[in-house]
Amino acid sequence: MPIFLILIASVYLILTFNLPEANIGNPTAAMNYPLLIGFSLLILSILYLLNEYKLSRKEKFDNYNVFKDKELTVKFLIVLGLCIVYSLIFEQVGFLISTSLFLLALLFVVNGRKQWLINIIVAITFSFATWYSFSELLGVSLP
Amino acid sequence: MGIDWNSFLEGLTTALRFENLLFIIIGGFLGTVVGMLPGLGAATAVAVLIPITFGMDPTSALILMGAIYYGSMYGGSRSSILVNTPGDASSIAATFDGYPMTRKGQAGQALTLATLASLIGGFFAIIGMMFLTEPLSSFALQFGPAEYFFLLLFTLSAVVSLSRGNLIKGFISMFLGLMMTTVGVDSQSGVYRYTFDIPHLSDGVDFLIIIIGIYAVGEVFYNLLNIKNEDLKVKSDVGKVWITKEQWKRMLGPAIRQGPVGFLIGILPGAGGSIASMISYSTEQQISKNRDEFGKGAPEGLAAPESSNNAAGVGAFIPLLTMGIPGSGTTAVILGALIMLGMQPGPMLFENQPEIAWTFINSLFIGNIVLVIINLALVGALIKILKTPSKILYPIILVLGFIGAYTLGYNIIDFYILIIFGLLGLAMKLLDIPPAPLILAVIIGSSLEQNFRMANVRYDSFMDILTASPIAMVFAALTILSIFLPKILNYLAKPKV
Repeated sequence: MPIFLILIASVYLILTFNLPEANIGNPTAAMNYPLLIGFSLLILSILYLLNEYKLSRKEKFDNYNVFKDKELTVKFLIVLGLCIVYSLIFEQVGFLISTSLFLLALLFVVNGRKQWLINIIVAITFSFATWYSFSELLGVSLP
Repeated sequence: MGIDWNSFLEGLTTALRFENLLFIIIGGFLGTVVGMLPGLGAATAVAVLIPITFGMDPTSALILMGAIYYGSMYGGSRSSILVNTPGDASSIAATFDGYPMTRKGQAGQALTLATLASLIGGFFAIIGMMFLTEPLSSFALQFGPAEYFFLLLFTLSAVVSLSRGNLIKGFISMFLGLMMTTVGVDSQSGVYRYTFDIPHLSDGVDFLIIIIGIYAVGEVFYNLLNIKNEDLKVKSDVGKVWITKEQWKRMLGPAIRQGPVGFLIGILPGAGGSIASMISYSTEQQISKNRDEFGKGAPEGLAAPESSNNAAGVGAFIPLLTMGIPGSGTTAVILGALIMLGMQPGPMLFENQPEIAWTFINSLFIGNIVLVIINLALVGALIKILKTPSKILYPIILVLGFIGAYTLGYNIIDFYILIIFGLLGLAMKLLDIPPAPLILAVIIGSSLEQNFRMANVRYDSFMDILTASPIAMVFAALTILSIFLPKILNYLAKPKV
């Protein structure tokens, strides 16, 4: 993660240097502040990396322990996948259908197959209730 | 003195209007429910429920969000007392004596005690707020860019240094947040920054999406990875709800003493509920006659943190309303939502629309009473909700997050941004990087940049900005001080068990 942060900071800095110069006023005005941020983040990330390095000698780095539980990790990845699928179909299929399906799928993954009746009831009631309250009561248009 | 009684009465009548009362009840209830969920606190509650406020007028939206906010604080202590899992950091102290009371079969009494203590703390804080808001906002009217720049800087550094975890991680979180605010068209020069030619990004990344991503989606992701298979063991039978005379006597003192303490801590940027409740707990423990009972179910030990926590929650609104500066992650979320609704809290709010501020203050009063009623009358129903498997509620919160993101910009790109920030929130949670500095930075980052640049234009060098006025110098000094403050506070807040 610290290495990843250093990467983010570097990319941000490179982008900053490539910013076009402003036509009005001070040509570098739009750059100075991001430069300050970029460099600070870079320095901090390096500090963080050094810190972690020192720590990892003494104690095992165990932040990623949660991923050791295979079953939960798989479930999490499925949920993540569902989120992306939802984003893809949302505008094509429309709010009501896609949300019901998304919530139903989520509930099946998270809550388990045994409680299928509850899952179906919750998914449909919830989707319909939100759809109704948004489009009818609050006047927000949904596809 | 500063109280404008006309505006006060006007605010009272507005707050008592039927629809606003309804919002207080709905918000308080929803907030309580989300706040009760282990791991989800006030910030998540407000973030997820933001879409409800769309299309409302700003005053009602402010009332609703206020209700959600302190509803979730009441809710947080429910799960602390009943199942020993605090809803968020600020209700950790409630587990020390609240859960032992439950184990002794006094769950109902513990809930009542906590509720009454919160009410007392909240009342003190609201009275304090009535006296402090106007003087503070007229003071803030004198601020120029240099003063604001250092005030914002101070707020950020205070939030960084007071959020748990180490300083480097806190500052990394802050700079990530600041970075995000530079995306989009630069308002002063018209330069496109970091938009990658995606037209939707030219307005910048919507801060509400970042908030929902990190506080709602990220938290749900994290909880999904940590879901426990055994259901929470909640006893339906909470025992007597009515407290005894002796308990009342024992809780009254701490509740009254710690209300003002919590309020003052709450005003400080960055401090807030978790620190206030810890400090209150340990001071009451030191001065109490029943010191030995602390940790074993002492009413004092429950009343002190609850009163102080609620007072701190109200106190946190003061910098928000008077200066437009949020002192915590949660108030930052509320500020974000208000800005989106076209309302700019800050000194001008009291100048131009005092009735909004007073309506809000009055709604806090009413809301606290309503919440006491909700919490006492519906103990049974609330426990049932606590029993509903979180496995059903987490998916619902996730879906609400997506819907919220969509209604913000009607653009599907926001879904992908939401997922990215959800993953970022998860990563930060796993690495123990505090999210509050990032959220705060996202909300005030652009005004930090604008003030920084305006100050740069007005003054020649950095030293000139620094010495622009005594106020600026004081804030600069406070910024440096705040970095060393946690060591002092940690010493004070350590419960001496």
